[in-house]
Amino acid sequence: MAPVYKLTYFPVKALAEPTRFLLKYGGLEFEDERFEREQWPQIKPTMPFGQVPVLSAKGKQYHQSIAMARFFAKQVKLVGSDEWEDLEIDSMVDTVNDLRQKIAVYSYEQDAAIKESRKGPLMNETLPYYLERLDKIAKENNGHLACGKLTWADFYFVALLDYLNYMTESDLTAKYENLEAVKNNVLSIPAIKEWVETRPKSDL
Amino acid sequence: MSQPNYKLIYFNARGRAEHIRFIFAYAGIEYQDERIPREKWPELKKRMPFGIVPVLEIDGRRVDQSNAIARYLANKYGLAGKDEWEAMQCDALVDALGDLKQVLWQLRTEQDPIKKEERKAKLMRETIPYYLSKFEKIVSENNGLSVGSGITWCDFVFAVSLENFEAIFGKSSLDYYPAMKSLKNRIYALPSIAEWVARRPHTES
Repeated sequence: MAPVYKLTYFPVKALAEPTRFLLKYGGLEFEDERFEREQWPQIKPTMPFGQVPVLSAKGKQYHQSIAMARFFAKQVKLVGSDEWEDLEIDSMVDTVNDLRQKIAVYSYEQDAAIKESRKGPLMNETLPYYLERLDKIAKENNGHLACGKLTWADFYFVALLDYLNYMTESDLTAKYENLEAVKNNVLSIPAIKEWVETRPKSDL
Repeated sequence: MSQPNYKLIYFNARGRAEHIRFIFAYAGIEYQDERIPREKWPELKKRMPFGIVPVLEIDGRRVDQSNAIARYLANKYGLAGKDEWEAMQCDALVDALGDLKQVLWQLRTEQDPIKKEERKAKLMRETIPYYLSKFEKIVSENNGLSVGSGITWCDFVFAVSLENFEAIFGKSSLDYYPAMKSLKNRIYALPSIAEWVARRPHTES
């Protein structure tokens, strides 16, 4: 009997969305638990490291969004065909995650003056640096981020895009045709297309 | 089957490469431990995939991201747990430790002296105890290791970080966390690790 999965997160896409994409792609049933923000102070102490997303399965809680994405990627066969390919995929996922963190340092800054001072370097240096390199990799890999084929690295990037775009108030891939191809290659998959159309709506 | 030619490129430091070096030592794998002098970095940075190190060069091809590299070696040399559930637990603990390191990075890069003091106080009073006590509980429940079935790459990540922790906060700083202290000592007592630690370059960090 297949285990039952519950994914607990805020009522947004952000860091849970890569796992949701993978579950939908694999046709894996799961409870998509979204709590109201006001409930977070009560829920936080019940989470393994005080953070979400958390995956509940086999009577246990599993945490860390990338760890759970990798776990499901294995189930739905979006991993590499050997360790060498998995290394390439992991490297790309962690690179996208680095980019997310650099954007988040700007986006979540409370002090308006400091936030403003971070905007220039982010928009003019960091984003082009990463996007140009990612675009080049996407070109070399036929519209994918690794191994020349569809892998969970593509899912991770595309599922996170709305969140990254929200934080930067821009459309990050609009000027990069190979990254647009990565995006379209994922969004055109029937299971993903249907999920995007029917999922609960949120800004990030 | 012939082994790939491995070259690990990093600074002359433990930093983000040391847990990879531990894996090589434990698995008995030969590799070139290339350490870039700081003056050469600006030029070499341009030749790294994303301008960062560590980078693993395998038969001439370069890949970055220290945990991707560690996980690749762990999968290849039997250090990733007994099944996908344990593999996920390794990943989750390493990433949780990564979250803690992010908070430390925010402290180190804080410019404002008052905010820096506030960050430091919060780190000492709340964040570090929060994470260490959670790690302590998990390691206690798993026979003194990160996952129950045996040594994994996560244990090397912890051991390296705990060595740095003791260097910063003192030899007795782990006394409140006996399971973590035991884990660190156990890893450093492994013959292959002890041999590596004895002959590696001595660096500040």
